[in-house]
Amino acid sequence: MLQFKLVLLGDSSVGKSSIVNRFVKDSFEDLRESTIGAAFLSQTIKLNDNGKEVIVKFEIWDTAGQERYKSLAPMYYRNANAALVVYDITELDSLNKAKTWVEELKNKVGDDNIVIYLVGNKLDVCEKDSSKRLVSLEGAKEYAKEQGLLFIETSAKTGANIKETFQEIGEKLYDIKKTEVNTDLDGNTGEIEISKPSTNDTTSCCS
Amino acid sequence: MVDTKDILKEFDPLTQEDNERKDDLGEVQRDSETVSTENSNERSSSNSRNERTYEDDQFFDFRLFAKQFRNPQADPLVKYTKSFLHNFATQRAVWTPEEQVKLINDFRLFIFGKLKVYEPFKSLDKAGLHNAEEGIEKLIMGKLYTRCFSPTLIENVNEDTVDKYHLKDIEDDELLIAKVKEYRFIELSNLDIPNKLYTRLDKFVELAGKELNKVNGFKAPRDKMVCILNSCRVIFGLLKHHRLDKEGADSFIPLLIFIILKGDIANLVSNIRYIERFRYEKFLRGEESYYLSSYQAAYNFILSMDETSLTVADNNEFDRKYKENQKLLMEEKEQKDRENAQLKQSSKEAVSSGATSKNSLDEVTNSMISMFNDLFTSSQQKPEEMGDQNKRNKKDEDVTQLINRMEEQEHKDTVDTLCSMFPDFDREIIEDVCVAKKYRIGVCVDTLLSLYN
Repeated sequence: MLQFKLVLLGDSSVGKSSIVNRFVKDSFEDLRESTIGAAFLSQTIKLNDNGKEVIVKFEIWDTAGQERYKSLAPMYYRNANAALVVYDITELDSLNKAKTWVEELKNKVGDDNIVIYLVGNKLDVCEKDSSKRLVSLEGAKEYAKEQGLLFIETSAKTGANIKETFQEIGEKLYDIKKTEVNTDLDGNTGEIEISKPSTNDTTSCCS
Repeated sequence: MVDTKDILKEFDPLTQEDNERKDDLGEVQRDSETVSTENSNERSSSNSRNERTYEDDQFFDFRLFAKQFRNPQADPLVKYTKSFLHNFATQRAVWTPEEQVKLINDFRLFIFGKLKVYEPFKSLDKAGLHNAEEGIEKLIMGKLYTRCFSPTLIENVNEDTVDKYHLKDIEDDELLIAKVKEYRFIELSNLDIPNKLYTRLDKFVELAGKELNKVNGFKAPRDKMVCILNSCRVIFGLLKHHRLDKEGADSFIPLLIFIILKGDIANLVSNIRYIERFRYEKFLRGEESYYLSSYQAAYNFILSMDETSLTVADNNEFDRKYKENQKLLMEEKEQKDRENAQLKQSSKEAVSSGATSKNSLDEVTNSMISMFNDLFTSSQQKPEEMGDQNKRNKKDEDVTQLINRMEEQEHKDTVDTLCSMFPDFDREIIEDVCVAKKYRIGVCVDTLLSLYN
């Protein structure tokens, strides 16, 4: 089983926790390992690699969205494989805040080390009343493309695109992991064993 | 890093078995990754899903390990451990935290490999082996506690010889206490905590703080971690009470900061750093890492806290409260000065009081660990000297009695606290819930809340 750490970033009213609650609740797999509360949740999904079933487990780290807790975020995004940067499509300012998160991640973690997914939430509100939309789909899409981010609009309320979001992250991370392992093995086409420790040096596991 | 390799050699009781060791290490690493999943699968089939809790998944029985470890067939393991502990204690008085982590991790990997070579551990299943690994960690950290936990380290060695990293732990502990005193008057709204009516807030805050303060009563990183998680459970209990638990970190993190500000927690920074350093990485599950990081985030926030870190609606009112508190602090200080002319001595004691205060639960561990007292003595000692059978039985009996007594007291304390949190319930009801839920604080709070609603 592959395991990935995913961090949630975004303003406090954008519904980032709702997205994850929806994902965990709707998922077919009932392998919930969170026992304390909704700040940390984990859930598995299944991927299909040319007929071979691959299980991917997400460990999802929520952050406090209030502006004053911004400085605590590095504690949470260190070693994360992916970040879900969430904004609210009915709040123009929430996209600007999302953009500052993207910049921070790029500066502090680096593009190569983390998959960033820009997520515009509250699609249900705009489907009912299109005048509520304040962030255009095209504009956000364009920004995501420029920055090389994955992008989607979702509704945690109806569940629209929630599963798809996590499925896509899972696939992307799996592809990256596969390429890494193949590069490491360098021509050795044996069984892929991702968690295998390096055995070049007897003390390598601790150095 | 030539240094560390040399150090390693000093501690390696069996350099000639290097090849065997390498293989063992590989095996242990592969296996340890699957232990927890297998374990939880087994358990989920025997327990109904609703009953599954963290404690069930992470079953740990130190008594069982202690018994296995004293089996004569495990004597080589005892010898390795003795040798390691002896060297750790005698080679140098003070190691830096980084060196300590390296030494302990290397020994851990070595001895975990050896568990697969000697009975009675060799024939254990994966869950049993995991229990033994946890037991080893608890045993060695219990023995090395006074050298690894910063507040007890400075008590035991000359302060001038202590490295700057351990000293920094102590400084941060003191700074945190100072900050907590400076801002102890703040309210929920100052931390952007959703402004709902919090009933019984003070009781929950008290209980969370009480659970958290238990970290000072334990030596093993695992036991300290359980205290951390229990305090988080109480916080989520409060959030559930107000239907805020689904808001995740937006409600949790500010409340955690609030708990630290309102609780009188000794040595918090040192405790968190100790867990981070000495809890074996592979044993630290994602959820545990998350809450440990949250504590780090929370104390960092408080360490750098000033008025600008807070939401202040009315500046004049805030200033008034701040000044009032400053005045109160001054008075308290003067009072203390009067009471104890030797302030220097007393402040030193104040720092360490939390660290040395005996917790009832850890006394059980202490008495079990003391059964291995000879682990610190020469490694040349014959295995037979571990004590004759009668002595062992006698000690087993004492320990069992002690455990029973401690458990009783602990249960009574739990019921008392819950009674004060839920005054609408009869004591009998609360006792029934506690018995049904095996006195697990988080589950008990959850159950009582659901009855309450």
